[in-house]
Amino acid sequence: MNSDFEKRMQELPMRGVPGHWKAQIVAAAQPQPSWWQEWLWPNPRAWAGLAVAWGIILLLSAATPGEPGATGRKASASWQSFAFLQKETEMIAQLSGTDEGRRTPPPPPAATQPRSSRRVKQAIG
Amino acid sequence: MSIATNVERLYDEHAQALFAFVLNILRHEADTRDVLQELFIKVARKPRLLEGVKDPRGFLLCLAHNQAIDLVRRRAARDRNREQVAAEASTIFADSDNPDEKVFAASLAEALGELPPDQRAVVHLKLWEKLTYEQIADTLDIPPNTAASRYRYAIDKLRERLRPIYDEIK
Repeated sequence: MNSDFEKRMQELPMRGVPGHWKAQIVAAAQPQPSWWQEWLWPNPRAWAGLAVAWGIILLLSAATPGEPGATGRKASASWQSFAFLQKETEMIAQLSGTDEGRRTPPPPPAATQPRSSRRVKQAIG
Repeated sequence: MSIATNVERLYDEHAQALFAFVLNILRHEADTRDVLQELFIKVARKPRLLEGVKDPRGFLLCLAHNQAIDLVRRRAARDRNREQVAAEASTIFADSDNPDEKVFAASLAEALGELPPDQRAVVHLKLWEKLTYEQIADTLDIPPNTAASRYRYAIDKLRERLRPIYDEIK
């Protein structure tokens, strides 16, 4: 049982919560978007579309069988163009009478020769 | 129900009680706001905290008490004199037109500020939240006997401290 003194204290009205707190506190309590949501935020559909397009491209690329020897062809094509350039330089040098183009051409890249023939050459040499 | 609506509803239902309780412990309005904001952010981030809770008010008061006591400890380490300063700065009672009530409220606020926070919390929950000792014990995580004894000690101190004013105005 409360005494008169306690009742007197109980009757005192408490201060109210400042009115502007509600908006601030409720706003602060809103869930914050994660970093990837923030990053995608301006146009999430556009980013999703781009991701889907890349996915399709990768799938198609994986599903299409690669052309064997394409790299080798490329390498030999570049060697051919190098040899052609070399001949051109020599020809220009002969025509112009200088000695510039008479240097011996470098040996073709080792990768173009089969390893077995290289070993044989080394053994002979 | 969305998280925002849920937080707003909880705020409408409990903010006043939480505000008065935390302000009574901390005696500092800005710190009280920080505690309330932290509390509602916690509830918003973990909506399951309140799932299955029979007495949300008691649960929120418990969370608020823990946060307020943490802050009191941090503050004590930071500045030992600040509580006394805060007691003068923030009053917990509403303004009154009645001069007697005004004087009594000011004296009581000051006297409450002189109590240890543990006793002040029990007095607040008993007088202004009208909780039983068992409910206070649950809220503050102390035995009911401790809650009762803290209350008695606190009331005796307040009575002693306020006797001249109380005798004058009663």
